[in-house]
This record gives sequence, structure tokens and C-alpha cells, in this order.
Amino acid sequence: MDKKEKIGVYVCHCGTNIAGVVNVGEVSTWAAENLKNDGVVIARDYKFMCSSLGQELIQKDIKEQGLTRVVVAACSPHLHEATFRNACKGGGLNPYLCELVSIREQDSWVHTDKIAATEKAKAILSGGVSRVIHHEPLEPLHVPIHPATLVVGGGIAGIQAALEIANAGFPVYLVEREPSIGGHMAQFDKTFPTLDCSACILTPKMVDAGNHPNITLLTYSEVEKVDGYVGNFVATIRKRARSVNEADCTGCGICWEKCPKKVVDNVFEAGMGYRKAVYVSFPQAVPKYPVIDRENCTYYIKGTCKACEKFCPTNAINFAQEDEILNVQVGNIILATGYDLFDSRRITQYGYGRLANVFTSLEFERMSNAAGPTGGNIVLRDGKTVPKVVGIVHCVGSRDKNYNEYCSAICCMQSLKFAHLVEERTGAEVYNFYIDIRTPGKGYEEFYHRLLEEGTHFIRGKVAEISDAARLPAEEGKLIMQVEDTLTANQLRVPVDMVILSAGLEPRHDAKEVANRFGISCSADGWLIERHPKLDPVATVTEGIYIAGCVQGPKDIPNSVAQGAAAAARILGKIQQKEVALEPIRATIHEEQCSGCRICNNMCPFNAILFHEDKMVSEVNPALCQGCGTCVAACPAGAISGTGFSNEQILSQINGLLLLNIPKKEVVA
Amino acid sequence: MKEYAYFPGCSLEKMASSYHKSSIETAKKLGIKLKELEDWNCCGATTYFYIDELLAYTLCARNLAIAEKTGLDVVAPCSACYKNMYFTAAHLKKDVDLAEHINFALEEDDLHFNGTVGVKHLIEVFANDIGPEELKNKVTNPLEGIRVAPYYGCQIVRPQKDKEDVEQPMFFEEMISAIGATPVNYPLKMRCCGGSLIISSRTAALGMVRNLLQSAVDAQATVVATACPMCQVNLEVYQQQVNQEFGTNFAVPIMYFTQLIGLSLEIPQKKLGIGQEFIAMAPALRQVIKG
Amino acid sequence: MTDTITFNQEISNLLYAAEGEPIKTCIQCGTCSGTCPVAPYMDHSPRQIIAMINQGMKEQVLESNTFWYCASCYHCTVRCPQDINITELMYALKRYSIWKGQHQEGLIGPTFSEAFVKMIVRGGRSFEPVLAPSYIFSFGMRELVLEVVGATELLLKGRLPIMPARIKRLDNFKRMIGRIIPMGGLE
Repeated sequence: MDKKEKIGVYVCHCGTNIAGVVNVGEVSTWAAENLKNDGVVIARDYKFMCSSLGQELIQKDIKEQGLTRVVVAACSPHLHEATFRNACKGGGLNPYLCELVSIREQDSWVHTDKIAATEKAKAILSGGVSRVIHHEPLEPLHVPIHPATLVVGGGIAGIQAALEIANAGFPVYLVEREPSIGGHMAQFDKTFPTLDCSACILTPKMVDAGNHPNITLLTYSEVEKVDGYVGNFVATIRKRARSVNEADCTGCGICWEKCPKKVVDNVFEAGMGYRKAVYVSFPQAVPKYPVIDRENCTYYIKGTCKACEKFCPTNAINFAQEDEILNVQVGNIILATGYDLFDSRRITQYGYGRLANVFTSLEFERMSNAAGPTGGNIVLRDGKTVPKVVGIVHCVGSRDKNYNEYCSAICCMQSLKFAHLVEERTGAEVYNFYIDIRTPGKGYEEFYHRLLEEGTHFIRGKVAEISDAARLPAEEGKLIMQVEDTLTANQLRVPVDMVILSAGLEPRHDAKEVANRFGISCSADGWLIERHPKLDPVATVTEGIYIAGCVQGPKDIPNSVAQGAAAAARILGKIQQKEVALEPIRATIHEEQCSGCRICNNMCPFNAILFHEDKMVSEVNPALCQGCGTCVAACPAGAISGTGFSNEQILSQINGLLLLNIPKKEVVA
Repeated sequence: MKEYAYFPGCSLEKMASSYHKSSIETAKKLGIKLKELEDWNCCGATTYFYIDELLAYTLCARNLAIAEKTGLDVVAPCSACYKNMYFTAAHLKKDVDLAEHINFALEEDDLHFNGTVGVKHLIEVFANDIGPEELKNKVTNPLEGIRVAPYYGCQIVRPQKDKEDVEQPMFFEEMISAIGATPVNYPLKMRCCGGSLIISSRTAALGMVRNLLQSAVDAQATVVATACPMCQVNLEVYQQQVNQEFGTNFAVPIMYFTQLIGLSLEIPQKKLGIGQEFIAMAPALRQVIKG
Repeated sequence: MTDTITFNQEISNLLYAAEGEPIKTCIQCGTCSGTCPVAPYMDHSPRQIIAMINQGMKEQVLESNTFWYCASCYHCTVRCPQDINITELMYALKRYSIWKGQHQEGLIGPTFSEAFVKMIVRGGRSFEPVLAPSYIFSFGMRELVLEVVGATELLLKGRLPIMPARIKRLDNFKRMIGRIIPMGGLE
């Protein structure tokens, strides 16, 4: 070391979070005495270092004591690294000369032994001090932000996000896997708790999105690949062949009228109805152009038919159409890919698929929809019998460790809505079987009370099984729901005509692949993870990638819309800044040490390493590098170092942790 | 020829000797050798676990250790024996401290449990090792027109071992179809027969037996097939008592699945233990019984 | 913090197979009771028993017939949404009840189990006739007659053994048990 650094040490109490376990006063006194040789000139402890008073303390010391390095022992860098770096910057010190070590997550929160925890805090702090000596002043990289945004998923969350950004004047690519945007909300009949018609409130937004000059709608399309980084992503999108020329098609509907091939519609009609081989998902579909389902179209199977082509008045049918691959440049991305419905067949004791009159919630939604397969009539599987008694099972596939441990959040309200619709349209008696009624939303509890007033039966107990095993004459021909009424401890057998399973929400079956494709992660359940569960619910750990709606976890329509708008607001803020500062934590390759083996080239997850054939050396593109360190570890020649994570820094920190920097005292027996 | 260490269990010694006979005979005819475990002891049934869990594991561990010496997997025809041995092996493999403690006791009989032995239920051997396809090929006397209610009972499939279907398994039905009979679909096939409650809580057990019989009869079953001696005794021996208690008139033969398979392979009735039953099988089987 | 062991912990400690812990995670959904084929005959449903254990209602739990009526069918266990091994919990209650010598009067279960276990410890294999007399007194007169009729019939059909089966290495077997129950155990 050429010159002695002047280091300031700050130990945070974090209220009692740290001070309740670690003797913070002892730690700071210890540091002042024992870390003197490393350059510690001042050591303080303070109740909340992150408070403005705490930050001012650091700034004052930088100015008055001439500190050249700062170490804060507090929470994790994830939470407050930026806070303390900014504090240093405010005090006139390069922010990268600050080191935050965690004595909360890694110490006080995970230990109960106060003495040992205090010793551990000293070691952690000592490691930070040894490391900070080797820090270098760094400057963040500034890159421009492309003003376009990619929104993946055209359900209500994606539509809302796209509209917000487009209305602010910036371009949006809205990509949807199905032939039409609209998502699950388009399948519903009524929305709780107000019971307004789902289509009536959704379709205006769909039309807006379809007509908006700033929105490029890419339906029947999927994102296959994403390259780049915040501000400068390039997305590769496969636009699947519709077999219909959009420029010529008027959406008149003659093709699907004439198509002779009927197909069970397992997607939009949940298997309850039919569509043709050439079809639009539903009458209000946006865009209005149909697609030909090549797996079921007679022409693609047998080579003859072409009825649609014959009758199309504008010659829009194009059997030879091929998939298109589009590359679009965007600055930010929103993932709003939604959820899958829990497959009720998995709970075999509920008999779905085996007992005809057991329905799923989505089947019931279609059945109660006036545009659905029964024209809105609530009837048994035979298509005509009106049920007299209906049982609704809550928590199907939710709150159950055999399936999904989490609460799906919408099923209680959905079940209440079903109960109301059944009573209103059939006069049938309705039994709700619930574990707990959860109605945390505006007007939700009031809706529950309305149902109570309407005389709906509520039985507190999780249904054990549903069978057709009649024991009494009154049970003949009925479905028998076996359950304990837990409030009276009575064992009940409730005979009903129809059962509705209020199935829970699950992550999309391909959520993990999607997360990988976009470089973000899933929770153990499979929902995509937000940057912070409370304070940053729509951002992800990858800069420039946001999540909205059920892809993040089960939620109802109002919350999905709120997240769509929130993600849009975050992105608009970024676009307005025009450029983004990137962390200067980057890998660099020392040309003279590089042997040109190219091992690092393929390992880089961000494709940031290029190879110079002429010089036979590799080089890191600092704009693409995310500072993950994979190449640093992989390089057999040790030619790569990570800024902020040099060998010197890491080894010094280890020495510090082991207290090798402390002069040995005489051993006291 | 596939070979197994065979643990008959106490019931099969006398109470369910027809199960024992028919198991040995049908297995032999299908190319499976069941080699009886030497000097085996009671598995502890459910009752032993009422008293002392450790001792119950020890009893099972002794049998497992004896089986390990043969180098063969052990097969049990009784569901309770099977469940006890299966889970004892699983616990001992997972918990080295428990295994050490029990091995200390096993030393007294020069035995040691290493965790190498596999445990199977007899019906698993028939369903997986032979399988419905091969079984079908070997059948010479298809039991056409016999409506059989497959009764799984409890401890073949429960508690759950892995990811297998514990609510609506179909392997029993597949086997019944393979021998030419018609499996009937009835909702109570997985319900409990009452087990040892037939001794300790008679009224409850009789009610359970009645529900099972009613469900099978409602589905027009002429025979109920079981794979457990306890189920067989409860459903058959106590059928008369059910009739008295509830004013019903059930007369449903309760057969071991091995007896049905044996008939389809034309093994003589006597070798299958047919004739020892309380409710005669002959009337229900008239059309398929030869000789 | 207190050092007193709660009833919940006592029972959890007796639950090797179920790994103890999850009893307190019960959400009182009633799946177990709705599933249980014996629940209508029980004083308290399995769900109630769990609530009572968690409330520390030791006396009431031990006085109930619930766990003695459990047939060990494991149907509740495979369905429990909280992965509580309810069947093993019932075993633990039986063990606790026998250990403390406290149970509802007139139940056959406890007497029968003790007789059964003594028999195995002595002979190594289960044998019905020896077993019968030790619990038969607990039956009412009508049941007794029916039981005798049943036994005679079984005997006539050749389905009851005349002599109890014994294992060969009985001495080893007894010493083995001695290593598990060092104080002579149940003998």
C-alpha cells in the first residue's frame, strides 16, 4: 500500500434487529482498537444507519476526518448498498469505495447465542475492512434506452400495460400465444363483486389495443429468444402462420361458417363446446382474423377440402403461408403470461372426469356465459336438466400440500359469484364447502354478506370425497359430497345434482422455460419472482424486465390491472430518463495472460465475450457483461478478473474474516 | 424363474390357508418361486404399534434381516405385513441411529439389517413382474361372465410410498380383465373393511363391512376379490353377522385374487383352498369351474 | 419461555413415523373426519382430537374412544392437506394411553393390544385362541355367544390352528426383545 487509507466503520443497530442479538457497542469499540493497523480511524454504532441522520453521520466524517473508505455493518447489500453508496457520493467520496457487510441476515437473524453472534459480527466486519482497502473508484456506464417496449401476454394485465405505454406516446409490441388477445378474462361471464359483464368491460380495452397506432399486435406468436440488456434488448418472435392473409381478410366469418370440420374447443370453451378448424376464438376476438388449426384441418391432413378458400370473398386464405421470424429492438420487457387452471383430475376423489356432473370453475364460467356452449343455461352434463341442488367446493388444488400449498386468492370470491348465479338462474339450493372464507378486497366482504342473506348454505369443511355411492333412497342418482361440518362436528353426506370445483391457479406449465428465456427466476411454486415482495412487486432482479398479473402469483382482475399499470409506469420512468446507468461491476480480460482457449466464450450467459481471431485473445463487451463472474471462475489461465471482485479483494476479505489481519496477542491460559 | 423370499405371515398359517395355498400354486404356474422365509416371526400387525413403536420396528427388522440373507426381495401376501415391512425398511434406511439401535438387538439372533432388501406385496408381483399381458396369454380357462369387484382395501396402496395413485388405482381391474372376468366399477373399492375393529369395535366394523358389500352388490358383482387375509375374514366370516345386524341377505363369496387367477389357469380347486370358505364359491363360479 | 412440556409435544415425541412436528400445523379443515369411515362412531372426530391436543386437553383426549376406533386405514393421511400423518398420531395416542394406563372404561382395544403383544413376545407368532380369553370378558353376552359360534365354525373349517405356532429360535428372539425392553418389558 502506497498510502495509508483512512477507513470509517459504522455498525447499525437496526432497532433491535441487530442490537437484540449482537452487542453493537462492543463491535464498534473492538473495531476502533483492533483494526487500527488496517486504517480504521473511526468506528461508530448508530440506531438506524439508513436513516438520514445515519447517512449524515457518514458524510460528516468523510468531510471532517478525510475518510477514504467506508465500511457499514448492517443489513444485506440487496437492501441498502445503494443507500450507503449514495451517502458516500453525497459526502464527496466515490460511491464504490464503500463496502456494506451484512451482520443482520448473516448474523443476528440466524443466531440466538449473543456472545458468539457478537464475535461473528467482528469477523464479518474485519473481512469488510480488509476488502475495502483494495476497492478502486469506479464510474457507472451509461447506455441509451430504446423507447419501445415488449409486452408478452395479451391478458388483462398485458393489455393494460400496453395501453398505458402506448397512450404515453411510446411504441409497444404486444405478443400473444393464442389467436386473440383477451386472456382468461374473455372467458368469464360476470366479474365479482359487482357482477358486471366481463366482456363488456374487457372488449373496449381489447379494441383499443388492437387499433392503437403505437401498438403492434402480434397474436398467434411467441417470443423464442431474447438477447441484450436493459435499454437494448433484441427479441426474436415467431409469428405462426395463420394461413390467412391479414391484409386481405375482412373477418366476415364465411370461412368458419363453411368449414366442415368441427373440433372440440379445449382452450376457450374449456372442452364444453366446439369450434371449426378455421376459427376465431370468440366473437369479439382481436384481431378479427381467423387462424387455420393445421392439426385438425382436413386439407392439411388429407390434402383435399379447401372449402374456406373456395368461399372466401377476398381470397385471403393462404395454405402455403409460413411462420415469420421477427427481430424487434426494445428497451424494456413486461412478462404478463398469466396462469393455468389447476387440473382437477389430479384430485381423483373429487371424481372430475369420472362423474359426469362434476364441473370445473372454468367449465361453469363458460356455461353461465350467454355466448357459451349452453347459451347461459345452467344445466347438467346432459345439456337439459336444471339442477335442484348444487355443491361448490372451495380450495380445489390450493391450500393443500399434496398439490399447491398457497391460497389461490380468487376462489372464495369466484365461488360466491357462482353461488349467486346458480341461485339467480335456477333457483337451486347451493352449498358452499369452504375452509376459510377469504374476502380481502373492496366490496368483497359485503358480497359475502349478500350471499348469506340470499340463503346460500355455507358448510365449513374441506370436502373429503364425492361419489355416486348411494346408501339411502334420497341419495339415489345424486352425487354425494362427504364432509365434516367442522363447526358442529357432524359427519355429513350431502346429496347434490351438480358439483362445481373451484379450481386454483397454477403457474403456466412452461413458466420455468419462459423465466430462463428472459433470464429471471421462478419461486419453488413456479411463479416468477419479483425484485422485492412488498416494495418492488413488478420489477425483477434483471434490469429492464418487469412482471405483471398472475405470472407473479395468483390475483384477481383489479390487482392484475394495477400491476400492468404499475409495470408500465416503471418503464415510462426509465424511457423518460433516456439513458440508464449500469453497474460498473464488469469482467475484464488481461490480454497478455489470455491463451486464447475460448473456454469463456461459450460459458458467458449474456454472450458478452467476443474472440479476436487476429490477436487470438478474447475480450469482454462491457455493455453486455452483467458481472456474474462465471468467466472469472472458468478461465484456466486466471486471465480474467471481475471489477469489484478481484482475487486480491476476495482473498483479503477471507483473511479478514479469519482475523489474520489482527496482531496476535499473547495467549492467556 | 423369478424367485422371492416369501413371508406368509400369521394369518396365512391357518386362518387364510387357502390364500397361502393358492399363492404358492398360482405363482409356481406363472414361473415365480416363493421360497418361505426360515423361522420368521409375526410382523406385529397393527396392534404392536399400539404399544411400542421401536419394538414393532424390531419385529419387522428381524424378518427383513432374515430375508436379506437369502439375497432375494421379500414378498408378503398380507397387506398389513407388507405395509409394516415396507415402512420399517424405509425408516431404517433413512435413519441410521434407529438402524443401529435395532441392529444391536438383532445381534442376539446373529442378524443384521443392511437395507438391501426390497419389499413387495404379492399382488404387485403379479401386476408388475408378470403383468396383465403375460397373464392373459397364460390363461386357459377365461372366467367369462364373472363379475368381480376388486377390493383394494387399505394398506396395499396406503400410506403413499411415492407418486402412485392412492385414490383410483387400476392394477387390480387390469388383472381381473386379463383372466377374462369383468371388473366392476364400484365407489367403495378403496374403503376400509374395519380391520381389527372387528374385534375391538364390532358395531363400527360391521357397518363398514355392510357398506362395502352393499356397494359391490349394487354394482352387480357376483364375487369380491381381495388381496389381504384381514379383509377376507371381515367380509366373509362376518357376513352372516352383518345380515343379522342390518336385516340384509348378502351371500357374496369373498375370494383371494390368487384363487381367481388359479381357476383361470385350471389349477384344481382343492389346491386353491376352495371349499374352506363360509360362503360357497361354487354357485357364483358354476359356469367357469371345470372338473 | 417455559420448560414445561406441552401435551402436543409429548405426543409429538411419541411419533417417530410421522416425524412429530406437523400436528400443530393443522388448519382444521376436516378432511380427515370427512374421510374417516369410523368417524360417526367416535366421541370426537379426528379433527377435533387434533384441536384438543393442540389445546392441551389431555384428560378429555385420553378419555375419548377416538383413537381406539381408528382402523389404521390411512385414508385421512393420504388426503391431509398439511401432510399430517393422522393414523400414526392415533397410534401415538394409543401408546400414550397404554403407557399412562388411562383410557375410557369398557374399551376392548387396550386390553386386546396388551394381550396380543404379550403373546407375540412369548411365542413369536400370533395365535387366535390364546388371544381370545384375555379380552373376551369385555364383550357383552350376545357378542360372546356370537364370538364362540364364529370360533367353532372357523375350527370346523380347519381355519384355526390347534396349537400355537412358535418360532424356532425363541431364546434368541426373547433376548432380542430384551435388548429393546431391558426391564423385562411386558412379561
